Amino acid sequence: MMQTLPRRAVVALLALSVFFPIGLVIYQSVLSGPFFMPAAVPSLESYAFIFDDPDFWQAARNTMAVAIGMGAIAIPLGAILAFIMVRTDLPGRKWLETPIMIPIFVSPVVLGFGYVVSLGPVGFFSVWFESLFGSVPWNIYSLASIIVIAGLTHVPHVYLYSSSALRNLGSDVEEAARLSGASPFRVARDVSIPMVSPALLYVGVLVFFLGFEIFGLPLILGDPEGHLVLTTYLYKLTNKLGTPSYHLMAAVATCIIAVTFPLVLLQRFLLKSAQRFVAMKGKSARQRPLALGPWKWLALALILAWLFVTVVVPVAGIALRSVVSSWGQGINLLDVLTLDHFRAVFEESTMIRSIINSLLIGTLGGALAVGGYLAIGLVTHRKNDAISRFVDYIVLTPRAVPGLMAGLAVFWVFLFVPFLTPLRSTLFSVWFAYAVVWLAYGMRLIQSALMQVGPELEEAGRLVGASNARVSRDITVPLIRNGLLGAWLLVFMIFEREYSTGVYLLSPGTEVIGAQIVSLWASGAVDVVAALSLINMALVGIGLAVALRFGVKLHD
Amino acid sequence: MTDKTILTVDNLALSYGSNPILKGVSMQLRRGEVVSLLGPSGSGKTTLLRAVAGLEQPHQGSVTIAGRAIYDAAANIDIPAEKRDLGLVFQSYALWPHKTVFDNVAYPLVLRKVAKNEIVQRVHSALKNLGLDHLAERYPHQLSGGQQQRVSIARALVYNPPVILLDEPLSNLDAKMREEARAWLRNLIVELQLSALVVTHDQSEAMAMSDRILLLNGGVIEQQGTPTEMYGQPQTYFVADFMGSNNIMSGRIGDIKGGEARIDLDNGLSVWGLRRTNAAIGHEAKAVIRVEQAHLADANGHNRAEVDLVTSMFLGDRYEYVYHAGKDLLRAWGKRHEAPGKRWLELPGDAVWIF
Repeated sequence: MMQTLPRRAVVALLALSVFFPIGLVIYQSVLSGPFFMPAAVPSLESYAFIFDDPDFWQAARNTMAVAIGMGAIAIPLGAILAFIMVRTDLPGRKWLETPIMIPIFVSPVVLGFGYVVSLGPVGFFSVWFESLFGSVPWNIYSLASIIVIAGLTHVPHVYLYSSSALRNLGSDVEEAARLSGASPFRVARDVSIPMVSPALLYVGVLVFFLGFEIFGLPLILGDPEGHLVLTTYLYKLTNKLGTPSYHLMAAVATCIIAVTFPLVLLQRFLLKSAQRFVAMKGKSARQRPLALGPWKWLALALILAWLFVTVVVPVAGIALRSVVSSWGQGINLLDVLTLDHFRAVFEESTMIRSIINSLLIGTLGGALAVGGYLAIGLVTHRKNDAISRFVDYIVLTPRAVPGLMAGLAVFWVFLFVPFLTPLRSTLFSVWFAYAVVWLAYGMRLIQSALMQVGPELEEAGRLVGASNARVSRDITVPLIRNGLLGAWLLVFMIFEREYSTGVYLLSPGTEVIGAQIVSLWASGAVDVVAALSLINMALVGIGLAVALRFGVKLHD
Repeated sequence: MTDKTILTVDNLALSYGSNPILKGVSMQLRRGEVVSLLGPSGSGKTTLLRAVAGLEQPHQGSVTIAGRAIYDAAANIDIPAEKRDLGLVFQSYALWPHKTVFDNVAYPLVLRKVAKNEIVQRVHSALKNLGLDHLAERYPHQLSGGQQQRVSIARALVYNPPVILLDEPLSNLDAKMREEARAWLRNLIVELQLSALVVTHDQSEAMAMSDRILLLNGGVIEQQGTPTEMYGQPQTYFVADFMGSNNIMSGRIGDIKGGEARIDLDNGLSVWGLRRTNAAIGHEAKAVIRVEQAHLADANGHNRAEVDLVTSMFLGDRYEYVYHAGKDLLRAWGKRHEAPGKRWLELPGDAVWIF
């Protein structure tokens, strides 16, 4: 296959966008000081410093506890939820499908804040509970609470992958087990679950990996009692030594990547083998749901209870907190109702700018990002050569870099490269970081849309005389219009939800809601945080409503 | 190579990784001729067609169309698919769902920068040829399978390619329509004097539609010839077995007399037939006879044997008799229902091939 110039350009630009920031982080980690200081020399003292810091090891232990603990909670619950939703006659299944996905689309920092105002020492639910029962049995700021909340809010991730695996499973294999004499329960235990075990294994690694890069929840919930995880340790390092301790941050980031990158490769390997497993399925016929009988009410109650804890409690807390002036024991709700927080938001230019910027980055930035992902997708579409395999790995790489660190790396790039410096305090830097961080996600959307196009439709174009580029323009792209629209809407939601990537890029002119919340939270401006959080959720909600209106599938 | 030859494939070889698909295939297509590529799945027939079209990458040999080399491994020539100027009718028709019938057929002309009014005129005449003129503004999903197929043919013909390639053109139609479409397609090809290369896995389709058949097996051409040659004079066991419905029995060569041989079958019968093998007396061989050549006889005689008639099956236009002969089941056709019991079965010596 001839290598055309545009193809090379796209791949070169992509490789540069991904590897340069990461390379810069690794390079910075082996310097004795910030890379822009002339005195910085190659040295391993940054590693020596953090390995010597008991806080680092405490954070590493906490990270392991969170990653393992949330897996132990999310995987069984998610798998059971998937089985109930896909395979049984649970009442209201259709209606539940969307609410189940909500935790994925709510920014974790917003979610964490929601738990504080709902279940914190003077949270709404805590106060009500206390007035009813006399005391509150939970402590939202303990490490155990962080783990439980992280576990419960990651149930949808597990649900997503196990439900699609269960859906791919033809019911013929289950019917064969039924006819051989297995009860419905035995069918689930001996046939259905083992057959989706590759997907469960994949999702186990995924959840463990997500546990490693979790930031928003421990930032908000771990702060009062000083529970650090690796990402929040990295965040706190910013101020630890008073001077910009870039080399230390880079060393922590490199340590995290050293764990996450192998996990990403493992995920890729597991996903491929899981697909092989599913490919062996029989002709998937119509699926007959399993009758739950009276158990269905218990199942429904459990799902509603989970939704209550993971969606209703934090969201209601934020909604309420954004319209009250203060809250505590013995305060009458009606006395403290106010719209002052929203007024405060709309009176301050930085707040307005952060809302406008968030909208711009979601709409325009989302469209640009989808355009970029499409260009990369077309470059590798139906070409199984070395360049395509190379692109495959490039796309995967940013997945291993948590948003906080990706934002930091991009910040450094814009600091380091002279001709990029003027762009540092523009929205372009934030957009660039977002687009790189969500590269793997966006590419999956684009590639699954491209896969829908029958190869013979493109071959027919070639045969009647269209060049590769003409085929892309006249056949492939028009055919995936709907997929592109769906990708744009999903990327919009993801970009609205994003918070950690913008943290280090926050400067006058580049404010986005997510990063603004993180920074305001540190200053204790709870009222404004509540109002901004609600606005943020509303933006995501609008995206979600439009997506559902256009029939966009929230997962593949 | 005469000047009537329009497509020449010479010693073409192609592999997927280390897995050879075509192992040196050579063939020719003459102007106005229909050649079928026939073979079981995995024989390489579709791969050969796609290699000619430029959709697969061979690594050896050459392909020439109307005197122009479009692929030549030795000379490092590999014209991309869009520059080969060939027409291909896909198995799935591959109509573009976002374009109307008119736009589907017009697209090749748009790519060739034909003037607008000429496009309109040529598309309409192509559609008229295929009886589709009234459907020009429809979208593919609004058409029946047969109509979609015609659109796909119109699209492949509208720019007058020197050769038209058809990949299993009838396989997406249901059984009843297939026979009608077969006659219609053959008629169209003859009327428009097209040179066509057709891939099919259906031997009766191949025989009905083509002037010549190439039977592929495992990436090589097993035998080629006119349909009557292919059916009546198979050169190898594979060809004999692939074409037609057969009774196949194994045994050992018992005697040889010039072009004929006697085979002593494992089922106890012993028959004379045409010798198509070099196996010596005492060696293993197979006897093949078309089902329609075996028939009931009333008494003993040359190449007759007494066998057990198990059942008669009614097939509509005939009966099929099923016999037990040792461990073999033999079949023959006849006009009447026959009651089970001992019968004489004749396997005429000039219809038995011994491989």
